[in-house]
Amino acid sequence: MIYPDERGYFGRYGGRFVPETLIPALIETERAYRELAGDKKFQQELQFYLKDYAGRESPLYFASRLSASAGKARIFLKREDLNHTGSHKINNTLGQALLARKMGKKRLIAETGAGQHGVATATAAAVFGLECTVYMGSKDMERQRLNVFRMQMLGAEVRGVKKGSETLKDATNEAFRDFIRSFEYSHMVIGSVVGPHPYPMMVRDFQAVIGRELRRQFLEQEGGLPDRIIACVGGGSNAMGIFYPFLDDPVELLGVEAGGKGIEPGQHCATLSRGNDGVLHGAFSRLLQDEYGQVMDTHSISAGLDYPGVGPEHASLRERGRVEYVQVSDREALDAFMQLSQMEGIIPALESAHAVAYALKIAAALEKESSLVVNLSGRGDKDVEEVARLLGGDESGN
Amino acid sequence: MEIRNRLAHLREKEEMALIAFIMAAVPDEDLCLDCIRALEQGGCDLLELGVPFTDPLADGEVIERFHHRGVKLGLNLKRGLDFAARVRAACQLPLILFSYYNPILQMGLDSFARDCREAGVNGVIVPDLPLDELGRLAGQGLELIPMLAPSSTLPRVQMAADLDPAFIYCVSVRGVTGVRSLPELEIKDYLQKVRAVTTAPLVLGFGISQPEQVRAFQGLADGVVIGSALAQIIEEYESRPALLPGMLEKRCQALKLLSYWEVRS
Ligand SMILES: Cc1ncc(COP(=O)(O)O)c(C=O)c1O
Repeated sequence: MIYPDERGYFGRYGGRFVPETLIPALIETERAYRELAGDKKFQQELQFYLKDYAGRESPLYFASRLSASAGKARIFLKREDLNHTGSHKINNTLGQALLARKMGKKRLIAETGAGQHGVATATAAAVFGLECTVYMGSKDMERQRLNVFRMQMLGAEVRGVKKGSETLKDATNEAFRDFIRSFEYSHMVIGSVVGPHPYPMMVRDFQAVIGRELRRQFLEQEGGLPDRIIACVGGGSNAMGIFYPFLDDPVELLGVEAGGKGIEPGQHCATLSRGNDGVLHGAFSRLLQDEYGQVMDTHSISAGLDYPGVGPEHASLRERGRVEYVQVSDREALDAFMQLSQMEGIIPALESAHAVAYALKIAAALEKESSLVVNLSGRGDKDVEEVARLLGGDESGN
Repeated sequence: MEIRNRLAHLREKEEMALIAFIMAAVPDEDLCLDCIRALEQGGCDLLELGVPFTDPLADGEVIERFHHRGVKLGLNLKRGLDFAARVRAACQLPLILFSYYNPILQMGLDSFARDCREAGVNGVIVPDLPLDELGRLAGQGLELIPMLAPSSTLPRVQMAADLDPAFIYCVSVRGVTGVRSLPELEIKDYLQKVRAVTTAPLVLGFGISQPEQVRAFQGLADGVVIGSALAQIIEEYESRPALLPGMLEKRCQALKLLSYWEVRS
């Protein structure tokens, strides 16, 4: 079975739940994407930018000190933090920006939580000479200030969204409204494997470069496949990207969601672990919502995971039991953030720190020589200020 | 049949239908009911009742504010349907419920349809269910109102026509709800394109606030929806609730009378 089907469904999940106004834009995008996906010249051009511009491939690093401190298992890091702009998000934005250019679009629209996708979109817009507008919740603008400046320096306009939760969810609503108004000359660069068809498929395909590289690197370095792969899940793009080429292999796949401060509603964003079926931002997937279908507020220490929805393909992988989804609390993520920084000299993004935390949690109980790859989806420069504030116990934010 | 009959009757009289959109139970139930009575008094022909949702993607700033206010007041689909039953008892207007899909999904499609029928709701508009997915609500004895937009291609128009709907909601612009000036010629072309495919009543919505706009589409559209313009009046006058119903009634009269006189003269 090849997912998604022609209507954009991964089993029961996916589809297109958007106003009719937007349907022609999605059909056009899908057609253009399918054409280019099979087009050698387009793929070569994308390869060129991924390599010479974004710095791929990203290394696979054996973290020996971290492994030794954690237990017997061998922990490897897939270093997406070393990509240009500091996260995996650039894999997708370069692909979509190229697609937008081929479709004759002059402008990119993006939603962003942590600001990493916004920065990656602003970067792609700059290198391809496109205009760029990024929507960001005002709460996120505060806790990821550095990325706001970066986007502005890259020439993008950052529009703060002071509505609803003031985080990624409402920024995404606003980006969709812009897209509905402007799709004749704008392309919306969705930053994760969420949204209406063809986005979950397209973003997965652009991110699958992570898993394909890993497969080759692991084979070369270790002569086989890893036993386990761990990735954090916000919308789910870095996880989908690293999992996808391994779906048919005997490799244990683990998605780590943000457990936040606890299991009470509003205190976490563990959509797959605690949500149920629902529609948000154009796809039928899992969702954190109340009994009346109102979408819930969420919390995570990490702005990039602070989102009540998740990509439909993850919902399907969960249902099929192919991927196991687990949670890590704010506290555990913060500890892992410090531990990786001090044991390996790598400051991870708070999002990625969730995956690291889970690796540390299970490593002790794993058999000797078993291997575990963590997708280190981004670097933590953007989080330094916020972490200093949290560790300093300074609630005033100064 | 109420919606079809009402529109057929108006078409016979060559009269534009005026459909008023109002958010359920905002600012509160009683004032909202007073507003609805005033709309009926002012000559509006059908009522579109909105259900507040946390993530109203198809709505512009003004109506979005009403969604967020409604959510803060603890409103939801269940309370929206309870309120619809009160509306049913308070006026004669055919009633169309406007709700985003997720609350309907949570309630369960069967329960939703049953509760709609029991509340006296005649039709539903689900702005985030495009034509391909509208079938999910079919066969439940509810009129499903399909939407089209200026961007809609001929196959999409045909899809809407094939549903044999009570009317087609023709979104006037590429955009979300909100008062604005409209590209008249473009909309006329678009209405003609749809008209060539179907005899179903065409109702133009999004961005309409002024009698002149209604007049411009006389003969091409069978009716108009007015939403954000009413919401603006509600925002402006809700602190003076004694004046509010009268203001809404006047606006309806202006829109309705003018379209009426245009046809007669
Ligand atoms: C470094 C990093 N990792 C992960 C995420 C979460 O997104 P996704 O689940 O789509 O990979 C983000 C989002 O901002 C991010 O910046």
